[in-house]
Amino acid sequence: MTTVIMRTTARVIVPIILVVAISLFFDGHNLPGGGFIGGVLTTTAFAIVYMGFGLDFLERGILGRDVDPGKEPSRDRVVLAYRRLFAYGFALAVLSGLAPLLFGKPFLTQTFEMLEGVPIYDHLEVASALAFDFGVYCVVVGGLLTILSVVGAE
Amino acid sequence: MTATPAGTASTLVIAPMLVVLVAAAGTLLLGRHPRARTAVSLAGGAGYAIAVAAIDWYIVLGPDAPGIATYQVGDLPAPFGITLVADGLSAFMLTMVAILGIASLVFSTRHLPGGEGRSYYFPLFHFLALGVTGAFLTGDLFNLFVWFEVMLMASYVFVAYSGGPQHTRAAFWYVTLNLLASAVFLLGVGGIYATTGTLNMADLAQRLAEPAAYGLEPVPVVGLLGLLLSVFAIKAGLVPFQFWIPTAYRAAPPQITALLAGATKKVGIYAIIRLSFTIFAGAEVAVDLPLPLVDVAITGDSPLPFVGAALFVMAAGSILLGGIGAVGRDSMEGVFAYSSIGQVGFIAIPVAIATTAAGPELRTFAIIAALVYALNHTLAKGLLFLAVGTVRSATGTSRFADLGGLAKRSPPLALAVFVGSLALVGIPPLSGFFGKFLVFDAAARAGSGPVLVLLLVGSLLTIAYATRLWNRSFWGARTDAVEAATVDPVQVAILVGLAVAIIAVGVGFEPVYEFAETAAEAALDTEGYVDAVDPQTASELAGSNGGGH
Repeated sequence: MTTVIMRTTARVIVPIILVVAISLFFDGHNLPGGGFIGGVLTTTAFAIVYMGFGLDFLERGILGRDVDPGKEPSRDRVVLAYRRLFAYGFALAVLSGLAPLLFGKPFLTQTFEMLEGVPIYDHLEVASALAFDFGVYCVVVGGLLTILSVVGAE
Repeated sequence: MTATPAGTASTLVIAPMLVVLVAAAGTLLLGRHPRARTAVSLAGGAGYAIAVAAIDWYIVLGPDAPGIATYQVGDLPAPFGITLVADGLSAFMLTMVAILGIASLVFSTRHLPGGEGRSYYFPLFHFLALGVTGAFLTGDLFNLFVWFEVMLMASYVFVAYSGGPQHTRAAFWYVTLNLLASAVFLLGVGGIYATTGTLNMADLAQRLAEPAAYGLEPVPVVGLLGLLLSVFAIKAGLVPFQFWIPTAYRAAPPQITALLAGATKKVGIYAIIRLSFTIFAGAEVAVDLPLPLVDVAITGDSPLPFVGAALFVMAAGSILLGGIGAVGRDSMEGVFAYSSIGQVGFIAIPVAIATTAAGPELRTFAIIAALVYALNHTLAKGLLFLAVGTVRSATGTSRFADLGGLAKRSPPLALAVFVGSLALVGIPPLSGFFGKFLVFDAAARAGSGPVLVLLLVGSLLTIAYATRLWNRSFWGARTDAVEAATVDPVQVAILVGLAVAIIAVGVGFEPVYEFAETAAEAALDTEGYVDAVDPQTASELAGSNGGGH
């Protein structure tokens, strides 16, 4: 799959996918979208990079690390980072659910605040659901990328 | 909502779930620190037990207890938000799971199957507990589906955990079957939503009781309930949905199998009881199903007789198939897996009796019998599967061909297994005696001769396979594997603890019976359930909130 066509396409579409993913993520709390679908789309971008440039490209090409080819795939540093992302994302989602208990509100209660007079946007909605959604986003990206890179290496 | 007494009671409802959730997140973060991971895991287990005990006392059993408490997740009112409900029935089930869960958790700290997945063992353990707990507490049909999935995701991994070919094969069947079941579940849930316009259980009960007032045509509900029933029967492992049990139970680590048999199976039973009695019992549907072959017509004005007829057939099949299957197995877990199929039949028989019961008195009594039997099965089968784990980690095998003379090698282990087996058979003064006694009594009160004969045959089969297991593994000449065995004292201590619990339930049966009675009354109290949840209509909400958003 690592053809010139694939690589060229990847260069064009990966940034577009990531931007769409981010915008879906920010819409999530009151429009179609959210952490889950944003995360799945982000993973798609990574999958295309993997397909176009090979499994080691992220570590060798972008992070500039040495990769030991004989190593267990699940012990790769990138994979360990994915796993951590999953764990931290899950912890963030749980904590954001627990936070309302401090204010005497039920688990997972959400609220929002309107910021007025923001340049360019005029007003911005800051929703507490964003924290939970970001946790979900991390869980999805971390989980799917772990599966993708471990199964892909096998 | 401030911290008024009512507020505290309602926060308690979600407490066990929050404890497990935090423990899952904590163990996930501490993946690379085995000691801290174990400590957090045990702390989570202790917190869970405390939370469940608090629910038992402050919501259900205490002198000022309201009997039922609800919790609206996210501050969204019922029926639009997710409702959690803790009543007698939920509390009884949670207590059962808490006792076995602690035993299995402590056992896991002593005998953790190795390999790459080790750092995920405890998070998954807590996810399994979370799914079971959520299923017991939720008051929303779709949410029940979600908790089933949480439970299944964790158990998929556990079935495949050991990673050998036979484990992968077992997991493949388990996943395939359960995906199919989930699809059917979703279909049933969707159908109920299309028919009634709600999935909140209390709202559902309310609407089904007065279909005309809500402009509903409730007849499809009978069939949809049948769909859901088949899904719950798969979880409970009732015939003809029992085929996944032996392979899955053999493949999963024994301490997890203890939970699968003791806790997730009970979720199936719980769901059958909750939906049939609390939710659908009041539905005004004329059922008229002639069965020309056996010359019986199922008639009635609620879906219950239909449920009852199906349950009778499934339970009878389970008792016979489970009992006969268990007699011929060649390993300890094989016997116990088939025995689980039979024992769930024993739990389902009184549930079926309750659905066809003439009066409320017999109905309550039959549900009490089912609950007490379920408690006995959880304790006894939990003990026995943990004993399989002990024997396996001591001798490296659990096949009868390689076992023998265990009784002299480790008398406390033998004693615990002896108590567990006798509890399955139903010898006084153990918990099993009261379980069996109540089930027989319920059948006698219902005046059903064939059911009594069936129960008798099932009990004889239980004696047969329990005796055979005992002869093959605990008596006889010591084999090489038993000779070289080193039995872990902590594991044996856990088994003895469970054995003591079985004896304690039998000796001090009075409070257990009262708890089961409270649970059975809660299961039948549709009105109390609806009042506690108090589902609002959209117009009522608009009125009270001044519009909202």
